[in-house]
This record gives sequence, structure tokens and C-alpha cells, in this order.
Amino acid sequence: MLFSGPGDIMLNYLLRRILYLFPIVFGVMLITFSLFYVVQSPRAMALQILGPKAPKEAVANWLHNRGYDKPLFFNTAPGKPPLDSQFFHYIKSLAIFDFGVSDATGEPLTEVFKRGAIPSLLITLPSMLLGLFLSVSFSLFLVLVRKSLIDLTGVFICVVLMSFPIMDYVILGQWLIAIKTSYLPAFGFNLEGITTAKYLALPVCIAAVAGLGAETRLYRSIFLEEINQDYVRTAKAKGASPNRILFSHVFKNGLISLITLVVASLPFLIMGSLVLESFFGIPGLGNLTITAIRTSDFAVVRAVVYLGSLLYILGLLLTDICYAAVDPRIRFQ
Amino acid sequence: MSIKSLRSTFLPENPILPAIVPVRFSLVLVALCLFTGCGNNPHPSPLREKREDGSPWKTAYRALPDTPRSLDPQVSYDTLGHAVIGMVYESLLQYHPFKTDPYELTPCLAASLPRRLPGPGGGAIYEIKLKAGLRFHDDPCFAATGGKGREITSEDAAYAFKRMADPKVECPILAVLQEYIPGLQKAYEQAKAKGNFDYQQPIPGVDVVDRLTLRLQLVKPYPQIVYWLAMPFTAPVPREAVEYYDGRRHGGETRPQFKFHPVGSGPFRLAEWNRNRLIRLVRHEDYRATVFPSEGWPIAENRRFQPVAGKPLPLIDEVHFTIIREGIPRWLLFRQGYLDSTGVNKDVFNSVVSIGQELTAKYRKRGVQLHKDTEPSTFYMVFNMEDPVLGRNRPLRQALSTAYNEDLSIEIFSNGMDIKAEQILPPGVFGYQRNFVNPCRQFNLARAKELIAAAGYPNGIDPKTGNPLELTIDVTSDSPESRQLTEFQKNQFEQLGLRIKLEENLWSRQQDKMDSGHFQIIAYGWRADYPDPENFFFLFYSPNRPPQGNNHSRYASPEFDRLFEKMRTMENSPERLKIIHQLNALLVEDCPCVLLSHPVYFSLNQPWCPRVSSNPLLSGGLKYAEIDSALRQERQAEWNHSPHWPLGFLLLLIGGAIGYAVFWTRRHHA
Repeated sequence: MLFSGPGDIMLNYLLRRILYLFPIVFGVMLITFSLFYVVQSPRAMALQILGPKAPKEAVANWLHNRGYDKPLFFNTAPGKPPLDSQFFHYIKSLAIFDFGVSDATGEPLTEVFKRGAIPSLLITLPSMLLGLFLSVSFSLFLVLVRKSLIDLTGVFICVVLMSFPIMDYVILGQWLIAIKTSYLPAFGFNLEGITTAKYLALPVCIAAVAGLGAETRLYRSIFLEEINQDYVRTAKAKGASPNRILFSHVFKNGLISLITLVVASLPFLIMGSLVLESFFGIPGLGNLTITAIRTSDFAVVRAVVYLGSLLYILGLLLTDICYAAVDPRIRFQ
Repeated sequence: MSIKSLRSTFLPENPILPAIVPVRFSLVLVALCLFTGCGNNPHPSPLREKREDGSPWKTAYRALPDTPRSLDPQVSYDTLGHAVIGMVYESLLQYHPFKTDPYELTPCLAASLPRRLPGPGGGAIYEIKLKAGLRFHDDPCFAATGGKGREITSEDAAYAFKRMADPKVECPILAVLQEYIPGLQKAYEQAKAKGNFDYQQPIPGVDVVDRLTLRLQLVKPYPQIVYWLAMPFTAPVPREAVEYYDGRRHGGETRPQFKFHPVGSGPFRLAEWNRNRLIRLVRHEDYRATVFPSEGWPIAENRRFQPVAGKPLPLIDEVHFTIIREGIPRWLLFRQGYLDSTGVNKDVFNSVVSIGQELTAKYRKRGVQLHKDTEPSTFYMVFNMEDPVLGRNRPLRQALSTAYNEDLSIEIFSNGMDIKAEQILPPGVFGYQRNFVNPCRQFNLARAKELIAAAGYPNGIDPKTGNPLELTIDVTSDSPESRQLTEFQKNQFEQLGLRIKLEENLWSRQQDKMDSGHFQIIAYGWRADYPDPENFFFLFYSPNRPPQGNNHSRYASPEFDRLFEKMRTMENSPERLKIIHQLNALLVEDCPCVLLSHPVYFSLNQPWCPRVSSNPLLSGGLKYAEIDSALRQERQAEWNHSPHWPLGFLLLLIGGAIGYAVFWTRRHHA
């Protein structure tokens, strides 16, 4: 065994997890590449971008300029290197984070991603914080009043909230807040200091409320699991008040699982929200992804999928690390 | 405040603390929004409040369903790009804003319509004289004039043609023009071989005669060239701008690419393009190319247009194109008065348009105007004339066409809006016959059954097999509605006793099938590039077969080809009209397709900006638009009233919930 001490075990565990990344990312890239050719050939993409009336020469020129006229996997043409193919160029460029330019607009994708990341974070980060705040508070309250009619009603409300798709919240929010009461804009975004809040408030509140049901139920079950632990009985036996038990013991212990869940979702926040950004006109990465899919901009789609998968795996890795950090049993498995 | 006191404020031994904190947080958020929000107007402020003369600064608010991919006039070939390019660039000619039946061209940057002269070897020469004193927009790229836009010359018009031939530009119409100006093809091939385009080298056939005169020398007659001169492809472009905006870093600053920073000569210049959000255009102060027309509008509009006739353009100062991809928010903003116009999408159709295709009372009361416009397009179902069953059997094709009830289809799928197509030419195109009745397009099942019997398939039965004749329709059903439409098409043909197979394809596969001819029946549509019959009849000209051309039916009639070749080089005249009618008659008789419809679209305008032009081929029509800013402000205030009681009610609700929670916890944990 290369490492032997507890620190080494952790390091060993970490390295193992990081090594897992490579086959997973390669698999994602292979699937994305193959799916792209199943769904849309480069020629069809060229016609979609240049217009269906584009002459054949213009299409051929477009394909050539972007390397889409090369063989798919291996170049068997005489005198050509076998790896001079679309797939290996694609793997190579993504591996070194050279995303190239958008197929549709020719803009450098690094610039496009930089531009989209801030609006995305402005939506997802406050949504997550507000949602977390509301759901933790609500779930703690339900735990406090557990097994009562209020608890039952609370759980029922959570199930109702979970039953609606986010689109319903969007439509209801726009109708109620933007149309009927005219408090906030139904659409738009302007990154101009404090006025940005005006555009963000409605989508942020919608995102927080849309996730409230599911999150409250999850956190409630985490806290309920804690409240049945032996240490709670001990605290009760020592005469601690229910409030003290809940906030000083249960809340703190439940926080471990909660933080693990939150940490897992952190890297993914940068990718934005597909539905909210699209319906509220927030020029973030979610909106960019939807547009790229609509316009068959494969360069953007592949970069987004690649980044998304990396961030997702990073989130999972962070979760594992958090679990391993708080629970030594996991490290030894 | 110390951490301890903060803690005591926010973390007392209060059991409902977690419930209170988010409430406080939400209240702060709401308060922040109320302080900063100023209501639900989604638009950023216009650049100015007042003009220099003290009159109100007029801003138009429009929506685009997506952001344009490029604002390079030599590249963009979609309506989205042209909607903006048409405002920023002016072409040599333009469509008259009012004359749409037939469409009419008028000079724009050109001083007059091009003069046609006979060319060597039976070709033609088009001489174009530019107006003097027209200037490009002010821009830092004009270093020689300190940023002041310089005068437009014939060199700039020739430069546009050179850019078309540059392989790096990827101009989509090069293939069309190089057939008539071979110098373009030669320049393209030379540049491709060298890897670089030589802009110093003149292109044979694109001759700069003097500072304001350009001559296009065509090797064969092509009267339709004038329509290309009205499209953005031939719009003069300043070379300085193309070279300056190269997308590279200069002195620590990255300049945008030219396609993202257009510098033109149109009525508006680009002030801001925040991709995925907003395109802001501002009036070009030196715009002199056109004025408001003095004639051509309907008599009923005399009172409205007479006072502005001959006035300098544009009539407004700023245009905001907000990128709104979803239909629902687009409609919401229109309803709130934050968009000046919009189309009528299916979701809201019934609330806006009555059964009689009029505006509903609610929107009539608001002063909204409803417009119904016919697109210069034709949709049809192509029969593969090389198919052994369909291609050799004219009565069978006629039977299928006669059995197809297009009136019913329009009723079901387009709310009765579209116009049934009786001929390939759409309304407004020279040669369109308003009262023409196509015998194969009058739904008559009995007649269709007679025809199919005459075709050798009585009651749709193939005598060779004794089973119903099977035909295949290739479809790309990518939505529930298109699936319903293909089912409808299947049912129409099956009324004859046939068996129709629907073959679902991906869009790319469908394109491949159209190109290779591996299909029997396939749906297709064509929108006019220009309003000339040549642009529609060429869809049935035999040398124009795929993959190079668009004769997807592979219709080949020597008589049709002979007449087409004669017609396409003629100027509009009674003789040309006669040939067009003959071409039409041939198509009716041979029936290489089932003609379906000419699409009709509804659009709405707010009372403060009634529509000026209904010409679908005119891009940049906003230069004629007028806006009543005071009326807009008044209506927006009326339609966006913010009541205070819901906020009070919400606070009461939250307060009640907190109170109840405090009461409950005290009672149970005392």
C-alpha cells in the first residue's frame, strides 16, 4: 500500500476519486459527440445556420472552415495522420480547455462563458441561499411541532408545492407579480448596480419557492432522524429544553448532511437555470445553452456539456470528500 | 454593534427564530425592490429624455425572437439579421413601403433606378449612380476624419461585391451572382488558392466608373439583379470598419469583430448590442438617403401621412430590440404596453382575435390595431416525378391534389387565416392571378375518385396486387401540431382508398432525401427572395434539380423549360405576363405538386405607434414609424397600476403566521 497513515488514507481516497474522473469525462465526451451526429449532421447544422437556401458551395466552405468535413473517428486518407479526425480534434481541444468559437456567431467561447457566468450566478446563488434559508427554517419549525396538525398541514403544503412544475410557478409569478400587481418586471435584465435587484427579485423568489417543498421535506427528514438519536434522549434526561435540544444539538448535527448536500450543488450553480433564464431573459449560461440547442450550435453545446459534466463530477467529488471528512468509515471502505 | 449584541438581537432563545429571519430577509428584499424598482417596466432608460429642440425623445420598443448571428450585410441571410441590418445599412435600392401589389423598387443610396445598357455577347450592363453627400455613421474606425463618418462612394459599393467573393466572408449568395458576374468566381478561387483575398485587385464585371458611379457587367441578361441591389448583401460597407473591427487586441483592448459592430449608412447606428438581451440603435444624425414618400399610401391614410410626406427620416430617435425567446413574456410585455408591436401567437389567439377575424372588444377598447398580412411564400407537397408510380401517372397526381381539402386544413391548423394556394406564385408577385381557379385544387372527392380510376387504381386498389396502392409521405414531425398535420395529410389521401405510410425523418435525413430523390411525397415551402415570378417558377426548371438546385419534384418539361428561359430574362410586360400564364397552366396540367397555402400572419400595434408599412420585403421600415410618447406614458400608467393592499395583506398573513407559531410553541413548550 502506497499510503498508510490516516492522512494518507484520505489522500489515497482522493486520488482514487480523481482518477475516476477521466473515464467518466471521456465517456461523456464520446456520448455527446455520437449523439450530436445522431441528432444533427454537420451539414444540417450548416443549413440551419446559413439558412436552408444556402448554396451547396457555401455549405461546403462552412464545413471545411470548421473541420466538419474531416472523417469522424480515424483519418484513413493516404498521407494524413490517422488521428486527424473530428473526434480527436474535439477531445484534444476540450482537454486543454480550448473551446474555440461558436459555430453560429464565431465568438470566442471563453468570452461567451465569462459573460454568461455572472448573470447565472446572480440568479442561482441568491435562489439557493434564500431557498436554503426558507426550507431549513420551515423544516425546523415542522420538526419542532412534529406529529401535530400543523406538522401534517406543513407536509401537505410541501407535497402540493412539489407537485407543480417550475413552469407553473413562472407563469403564476409573472401573472401575479408583474401583471396583476405590477410590482416587478415580467422580463428583462440589466446589470446596473442596485437596479439589478429589480430584475432578479421575481426569478429568485420563484426559484426559492419552487424548491421549497422538496427541500423542506428532505431537511425535515434529516432533522427527524437526528431527533431520534440517543444523544437527544440523553439531553432530554439532563433536562434540556426542547428549543435547546433542537437548535443546539439536532440542528448542528443535521447541518453536516445539509452542508454536504449544499456543497455538492455549489459548482453547478455557475451553469445557471435553463427555464428561469429563458423565461425572464437573463443572459446567463442556461439561456446560452437553450439557444445553442435551438440553433444547433454544436461548439457551444459540446463545451457546455463538457463543463457541466466536469462541474457535476466536481460536485460529487466534493460531496464524497465532505462525507469522508465527517465520517471516517467511508474512507476505509 | 458587537458580535455578541448582534447575536442577542438575532439569536435569542426564540424557538421560531429560523422562521423570522427569512421573513426579515424577504422584507429587506421586497423593500430593496420597491426602492430601486420603479415598477415593472423592463426596459433600460433611453439615452436621452428630450431632443435638442426640447421635443420628447422618441424610442421604439420591439422584440426579436433571438439574437442575430451576424450583422454583416454580406453574410446574414435570415429575417432576424435583416430586421436589424436593414436599419443600420442602406442598400442601393429599396422596396417602396406602401406599394406591395405589385411590389415596387425605389432608389435608396442610388440616385435613380439602375440604367440597363446592352452588354457585349448578349449580356447586360447595369449602371448605378450614387447620391452625393451621403455619409457612413460616425465611428472611431474613420481615423482620417477623426471619427466622423466619411462620404459613401462607388468604391464602397464595389468593396461590398469584393467581400462577397472573399472565401473568409462566406457570403451565401455568391453562387447566384457568380453565374452572371464570372469575375466573382475567379476572385473567389484565386483567394482560396492563395489563402488571402487581394482587395486591391478590381473584379472584372464590377467596375468603378467614377467617384459615384458603379457598373455591373453581366455576361447574360438577369433583370432580377435589381432585387439583389435592394437586399443588404450589396449594401456599401466601409473598408476601414472591416479592417478596424477585427476581433483582436489593440492597446490592451479587444475590438469586436465587424459582424458584431456594424458601421453602415442606415437611418440608425448601433449604440449597444448586449448579446442575448438588447440591441439599442440610435438615430444617424447625417442620414439623408431617403425621405418619407409623398405618394403610394392608401387614400384612407391621407390625413395621417400627408403631414409627414417628404419629411427627413427617421421620425424616431432610438430603437430597442429586446431579445425575447419565449412567446409568453413577449405577449405579457405587449399587454403591459412595454412593447409597441407583436405577432399573435397561438396561445393568445382566441383572446385577441374573434371568430370573424376581428380584434376582440377588450383590445379594441385599448386602441390596439390588428393587421393581417400575406407572406410572399407558398407551401406545397412535392411529388417525385422520377418515382415509378407517381412520376408517370398524371391522373394519379391530379386525383391526390383534388382529394386534398386545403380549406379544412386552413380552418383546423391556421385558424382560417392562410390563403389557399391555387398557383405557385403568391399574392403581390408579378403574374399572380387573383381570381385564378385551379381545377385540381377544388376539393371534390367524387371527381378525385374518377381520376384515380382513370389512373388505373379504381377505389385506390392496385390491380396488380389486389391491395390498396401504398404511397409514402416523408415527414419531419417535431411538434404535436406538425404530427397532427401529417395525420391530416394522410387522411386526405386515404379518402381515395389508398394506403398512406408516414415516414418520420430527422430534418437532416429529410434534406438528404430531397437531394437524392429517395422519396415519393414530401412537404416543402418557398419564401420569395425577391418578388419576381422567376424566383418561384425556377422551382420547376429541370436544370435546377437537386442537389445544386431546388427543383425537388424533378419536374422536367421541355416546354416549361423553354418558356421559363424566355420569361426569366424579360422585363415585366404584357408579353411576359402571357408566358407566366402559360407556365402556370403547364403546372396545373402536369400537377407536380399539391399546392397548399400562402401563409397569413396577424400582428398587433399599440395605439401610440400605428403601423406605417405592410411590406414584408422591406427591412428597416422603422425609419418611417412615428410614436406618440405622451399617449404611451398615459396608457402604461393606466395598464400598470400597483395596488398597495396585496403587500399589506401579505404582511398581515406573515404576521399572523408568526403570531400563531409563537402562540403555539409557547403553549406546548412552556
